[in-house]
Amino acid sequence: MAAVAALGLLISACSVSDPEAPAADGEGGDATFSIAVGIDPDTFDPAGQTTTTVSNMVDYVVETLVEINDENEIEGLLAESYEVSEDGQTITFELREGVTFHDGTPFDAEAVVYNLERITDPELTVPQGAAFAAFESATAVDENTVEIQLSQPSPGFVSALSATVAGIISPTSVDAEGNSYQEYTRPVGTGPYVFDEYTAGESVTVTKYDDYWGEEPYYETVVFRVVPEAATRESLLLAGQVDMIILPPVSDIESLEANPDVEVLLAESDRTIFIALDNTDPVMQDPRVRQALNYAVDKQAIIDNVLFGAAEVLDAPMAPSLFGYCETGSYEYDPERARQLLEEAGAVGASIELLTPSGRYVQDAQAAEAIAGYLREAGLDVTVSTSDFPSFLARVNAPVTENTPEAHLLGWAPAYLDADFQMQMFRQATHPPAGLGTSFYTNPEVEELLAQADVETDPDTREQLYCDASQIIWDDAPWIFLWTQSFPIVYDADITGVSATPVEKFDAMYARPAN
Amino acid sequence: MTGTAAHIVRTLLLSLITLFGVSILIFLMLRVLPGDPARVLAGLNASEDQVARLRAELGLDQSLLTQYWSFITGVLTGDLGTSARTSAPVASEIAVRLPATLILAIVATIIGTIAGVTAGVVAAVRRNSMVDHVISSVAMMGVSMPVYWLGLLLILLFAVTLGWLPAAGSGEPLSIVLPAVTLAAFSTALISRMTRASMLEVLGQDYVRTAEAKGAPPLTVIMRHGLRNAFIPILTVISLQFGALLGGAVLTETVFGWPGIGRLLVDSIGARDFAVVQGIVLVYAAAFILLNVIVDVLYVVVDPRIRY
Repeated sequence: MAAVAALGLLISACSVSDPEAPAADGEGGDATFSIAVGIDPDTFDPAGQTTTTVSNMVDYVVETLVEINDENEIEGLLAESYEVSEDGQTITFELREGVTFHDGTPFDAEAVVYNLERITDPELTVPQGAAFAAFESATAVDENTVEIQLSQPSPGFVSALSATVAGIISPTSVDAEGNSYQEYTRPVGTGPYVFDEYTAGESVTVTKYDDYWGEEPYYETVVFRVVPEAATRESLLLAGQVDMIILPPVSDIESLEANPDVEVLLAESDRTIFIALDNTDPVMQDPRVRQALNYAVDKQAIIDNVLFGAAEVLDAPMAPSLFGYCETGSYEYDPERARQLLEEAGAVGASIELLTPSGRYVQDAQAAEAIAGYLREAGLDVTVSTSDFPSFLARVNAPVTENTPEAHLLGWAPAYLDADFQMQMFRQATHPPAGLGTSFYTNPEVEELLAQADVETDPDTREQLYCDASQIIWDDAPWIFLWTQSFPIVYDADITGVSATPVEKFDAMYARPAN
Repeated sequence: MTGTAAHIVRTLLLSLITLFGVSILIFLMLRVLPGDPARVLAGLNASEDQVARLRAELGLDQSLLTQYWSFITGVLTGDLGTSARTSAPVASEIAVRLPATLILAIVATIIGTIAGVTAGVVAAVRRNSMVDHVISSVAMMGVSMPVYWLGLLLILLFAVTLGWLPAAGSGEPLSIVLPAVTLAAFSTALISRMTRASMLEVLGQDYVRTAEAKGAPPLTVIMRHGLRNAFIPILTVISLQFGALLGGAVLTETVFGWPGIGRLLVDSIGARDFAVVQGIVLVYAAAFILLNVIVDVLYVVVDPRIRY
């Protein structure tokens, strides 16, 4: 059976503004929308992206071939449809017609080929390029058709093309002023907004692209203001000096929700937060110990009291928004059972170092302290240690030594919504230092299922393979499964059209005044 | 004055050795820090291949000696290297951020000096009065109050409640008010305490009594006979404060989203962006040395008896 995923996108394209008649002045006039974010951008090159917040800004300017829609399905953006061959090694994209880059260069098959070759070029640093490892070549069949050859079936490939790293830039823009192939600082894409200005440490400004092919946004200008302090972002919004912020102080979410002047959106995120247990440790080797730790922690109580409600308890080894997720199980808080399991395993009184980053994830160090409290109640001798993130990473990303902590708190957010990305955490191939499978977990059955899923082209079968693997992983408990953290967005109550995508991005492209 | 010129030349030459020492220290300290810059830069999702390639690209796979050699020869030819995080030249990264820090430091120092010296003189002249007690208590608060907390309080009052001033950023002319006042709070307190102590000492001197006895107006006595003679320790405190502010008021810059060099330094340490950290520290060291030379000259201006 040919795995064909043809997408009827012409319909949605017709429902929006006519690309032939660009509106000189939108209904929004010269209105500005300002958004306060916490991170100063490092690079605007789509290929260089590592930080979601920065990608979020780049998304205003640069578009991808496909996107993930509200139902977590792949949908065309710059592509109108795509087709995967029976052997899963050829992908053919039909491109949207009548699209031009901001510099006037037409968007066509050659441009797509150029971009695919660029993000797979070993000479270029592409931090999130691993997803495209199976890429072999791309050919422009005709002006609007691109054929991609893969070295092996790679079911996550199309999904990966929805990430900002695969954003399509104008091939001529790499030679434009301020840009080079290696140092691409002024992005030129096909998006609704044109990159205007970046003031280091201060702000990024984009302005509306008059010849945009799709729906015209309301605001003429969007300003992203870089404000590292959460409490200050909150003040900016309350003072009416910005229209929207991300990541307010979590402790203030409740009072913001009670404030009629602002709206709070606790968006779903694909970031799983967990305690990775060192599965090679003499005590942790015993699955009963790892299960006991899962039973010992009252996750909901910590979410309510330490995370101020900004998280959802995990019921699988991955976030629900991923392809391949199925509800797997639960470790209800059961201190009796935990103690019993620990006694059976002879692990009562074992000493555990719990290493945690501080300030990297929502209330991370505070949550780790609470978890340590529960583990002590279960009869373990727990010490919590913390360090800055690079030092933390140096310890958990090293091969097993005596210095490896028995447990550490970590977050993992797939860049594209496919279980393939999450499952990297449970494969021997990613044991540090090769990857971030920091629990050193491996199970031959899981390896087998995942190897099948790697090359399975039928989506339903592939989903089932991930589901089966999840079940085994859940019972093996290589982690203390904690929660997916929420991504809080707060905006002026007079504005409508703000939403979020499950990859910790806001979607305010079509925000407008409510009246 | 020739003695002073020779002193300055000597100080500047000696400072070259200091800078050399600083360059070695900062270079080694960064390498001792745990955390692989390539891994941090490549991100959590990067493969080991990519990290290794990046490590080679950054020259981190070479020996320490080779790395230091290319760093120091670069510095000598005016090239501070390239930021690993942004791929921009370190010199331009610093140049973009330095003005914001300079302006903030200068404005805060001016506020701190005017307010601090005035308060200190008043407190000294009205020693043990109610005014003195109030000034001393406020100064004590100013020294002890965490900058971070004061900044947030000021934002809440002046931006959120009253709506008079921008809460963050540097885009508007009024943007500098809150961060400068916040920064000046500490300097004001410190300078006023030093001014009061120094003034009290001078006001007890014979020549002040003589001046008063011969009928000089009180203001002349206080300013010309008093403050001018009391000014050397005050100048020292002001210059030290200014030097500290030049180092980038990290907390203030963070709270107010001020695009200064302190935040760049912290971001760069967090990203293990060695070249930028090295560059900033060298620039600081050079600025500090220069500031000391300027203060040495100012001493001579304030007190012509000083000779080097």
